[in-house]
Amino acid sequence: MRKYGLILWTIGVVYAVFYQVPPAEGLGYLVRIAFFHIPVAWVSVLAFLLAAVSAIRYLQTRDMKYDWWSSSAATLGLGFCLLATVSGAVFAKLTWGAYWNWDPRQTTIFILLLIYGAYLALRSAIDDEEQRARIAAVYALLSVITVPFLAFIIPRYYFSLHPEPVINSAGHLQMESMMLYVLFAALGACTLMFWHLLSWQVGVKAEKYRQINGKEL
Amino acid sequence: MKQRHIIGIGVILLFAVFSIVNFSSSLTPYVTFAQAKGMSGDVQVRGIIVPSSIMQGDNVRKVKFLLRDESGEEVTVDYTGIKPDGLEQATSVVAVGKYQDGKFVTQKLLVKCPSKYQGSVKQE
Repeated sequence: MRKYGLILWTIGVVYAVFYQVPPAEGLGYLVRIAFFHIPVAWVSVLAFLLAAVSAIRYLQTRDMKYDWWSSSAATLGLGFCLLATVSGAVFAKLTWGAYWNWDPRQTTIFILLLIYGAYLALRSAIDDEEQRARIAAVYALLSVITVPFLAFIIPRYYFSLHPEPVINSAGHLQMESMMLYVLFAALGACTLMFWHLLSWQVGVKAEKYRQINGKEL
Repeated sequence: MKQRHIIGIGVILLFAVFSIVNFSSSLTPYVTFAQAKGMSGDVQVRGIIVPSSIMQGDNVRKVKFLLRDESGEEVTVDYTGIKPDGLEQATSVVAVGKYQDGKFVTQKLLVKCPSKYQGSVKQE
């Protein structure tokens, strides 16, 4: 039931992006990419934070459930981060004239991809479950320290071709009201989609555990 | 939180700040004209176009304009290629090319548009 609600909502958002959002000044209809690009970027930051919070819980309780949450969140975060990178590169090609320019934004998201790519490599390198969960949790905690720097501080400190973030230094939203409603609807849909994928992933890991150990955790 | 955890996090933060300070030049590809003069190979200079200095060259694929970099130096940019949309409205421009005989020669311009996320009146 919840799934169908989310599908309907997403269809509604896509409809609104194509038929309700006016062309933006200077961007024209290219602004449509923003309604995909901003939500996936936001969700990837959220996912990395969630991975770190679950990592703390794991280290406190040593309960494998939290490792499932943490690793699923980090993996999905990497996926969303990749989507943000690709959609950003397309956006850059259409607005600045080059897919990849090593703009500060592009450099920092690239480092972020490397950091969380290394997380997956680290997990796959350790066979023992307990040890893997412990080491991965510590790594998830250390890597989240870099996220605010890479996602928020450095791109704002250096000159970037990237447009002013919607929530800018002046602290007020500079967006037309229609665009703002659609953006929030898109953020909501994207966040719920992430939540849905995350629960599904954790469910898969729980099921696997039950099959191997013959009992629930 | 044990004491060694706090020390550990402190060391990591120090290292992060240290790396940011040291790698800050590699975090951004943009240089000033003064730096570009001493460099061989293509560099990226960013700046703003001096108002009403855009001149169409002798053919359609030639554009010249004065670019003021962040240090305030103004240099003529000699661009060959199709004129990017919105060059007149650009808030900043990045020119990718070489500094040669008092001019900056480029075949690639990156244009930063003013994104106001406001509806535009004209339908494109």
